[in-house]
Amino acid sequence: MDIAFILLNALVIACIYGLIAVAVSITWSSLGLINLGYGFVFSFAGYGAWLAATYITKMSIVVMAAGVLAGALCGVLICLIVFIPLHDKPNFTTRGMIGTLAISLVGSQALLMQFGPRAKALPEFFGNWSVNIGGTVLTADRIGIVLCSVAMLGFVVMWMKGSRRGLEIRAMMMNPHAASIVGIGIRKTGIYVMAITGAMAGLAAVLLSQTYYVAPFSGLTPLIKGVSIALCGGLGSVQGAMIAAIILGFTEAVTSDLLGGQYVLITQFLVIICILIVRPRGISGLLDKAREQ
Amino acid sequence: MTEVLVIDGLSAGYGPLRVIHDLDLIIKPGERVGIVGLNGHGKTTLLYAIAGLTGWQRGSIRLNGVEIGRTRSQGPGRYTHQIVRQGLAIMPQGDEIFNGLTVEEHLDSGAFTPEAWRDRKARKEKILDLFQPLAKLMKTPVGRLSGGERRMVSIGRGLMTDAKLYLVDEPSLGLAPKISQSVMEALLSLDIKDSAMFIAEQNVALLEGRVDRVINMHAGKLKGEASSSFNFATA
Repeated sequence: MDIAFILLNALVIACIYGLIAVAVSITWSSLGLINLGYGFVFSFAGYGAWLAATYITKMSIVVMAAGVLAGALCGVLICLIVFIPLHDKPNFTTRGMIGTLAISLVGSQALLMQFGPRAKALPEFFGNWSVNIGGTVLTADRIGIVLCSVAMLGFVVMWMKGSRRGLEIRAMMMNPHAASIVGIGIRKTGIYVMAITGAMAGLAAVLLSQTYYVAPFSGLTPLIKGVSIALCGGLGSVQGAMIAAIILGFTEAVTSDLLGGQYVLITQFLVIICILIVRPRGISGLLDKAREQ
Repeated sequence: MTEVLVIDGLSAGYGPLRVIHDLDLIIKPGERVGIVGLNGHGKTTLLYAIAGLTGWQRGSIRLNGVEIGRTRSQGPGRYTHQIVRQGLAIMPQGDEIFNGLTVEEHLDSGAFTPEAWRDRKARKEKILDLFQPLAKLMKTPVGRLSGGERRMVSIGRGLMTDAKLYLVDEPSLGLAPKISQSVMEALLSLDIKDSAMFIAEQNVALLEGRVDRVINMHAGKLKGEASSSFNFATA
């Protein structure tokens, strides 16, 4: 058993799930919406990237940008179809969840009708080279995945911390009522949130397509894992989601190395259940510096 | 000159409960108006109704000549952010702060118009002059502050943007007498120019002699004629 190899695997998995989990977390805490539509965003972004690769150019930066843009576009679409009409209706949490789930299913079915059931492969973005550090082979796609997702997460965190829109979103995450008092409109902020989280899911889709193929229902597993990781991290906390993603990435890497890939979902959900038994509201409570009102 | 606030036949409440009954009120530019009354008689609800935060309301509310009232029954706060952008600064009861944001971020979030955002630095300086204890707390999350400091943050946030009407809800609530005195002093020392300030308060002594007029609120109605109400100067 090679520890470095497992750690590297864990990191790669954590990066991809982390992107989705953070997206789910941000959407929940700022808009109060558990967006199950990321399954569709994921596949949609994959097909966006595939279309760009087929009809425009195979240049990796263009294909990746197309995927990210398609993700953001799809996020805005979900916002317009589900969030804006429903957000001030009674029982929005449940309705929103069902609405986004419906979009996920209908959208994936539409992709199936449009592109057929055959999985599509994206070109390799990061070339075919590899480096050998201390006996561990780092392949290009792994380094690329880690760098890209860390860059994206870093960008999102910086944007949330530094920009005016980010300040508005964080204000809304903490107290939506007070946010309206300082002139922050939930609908407009909703579009920003869904665009940025859609872009994150889009990037995750493009990066995962280096390992798996693009298919109409390829977003389902990442969605389920992303949502459960976000839950585990304590819905609403970015750091919590990242830590949970690292823990579960590690679980997945260890399991597939020691027991075999078919046990991954079992151990992963056992770990999630254990964490939620010990800390029912997720990991994030441990990180909270400010006291509750 | 248009009146800052004209309320005509306003009723408001929550669900089946009607808190405000057919209320009329006029506030002129440059006026500081206090509204006093016991708990549960509708002071906060009146301020909420102006901001569009009540469960339902009907009747006309004109802020600087623009109608912001209308009838609405669904979704308290649905239009609040638009009303606020018409020139309303709200310093709510219970502070309504963002626990995880620092004091500085709070003040920034109050500067929501493009002009205010552009010169937010100068505005923050001005607020720190007013509330000096905040100067060394700028990087502290607001969740860790004391009640008095939070009140200063919530009032400071409301002052970051130039408003036509400042709504202040119980600035002394839950504060030690000395602190509430100083908060009130800072608030009333402001030069509001053509704007107006509307302060709900239970402690009449704090308002005495410092506001242009005091209105009494009782059971959802303003006592006496709102425009010729009790005046300290003539009494």
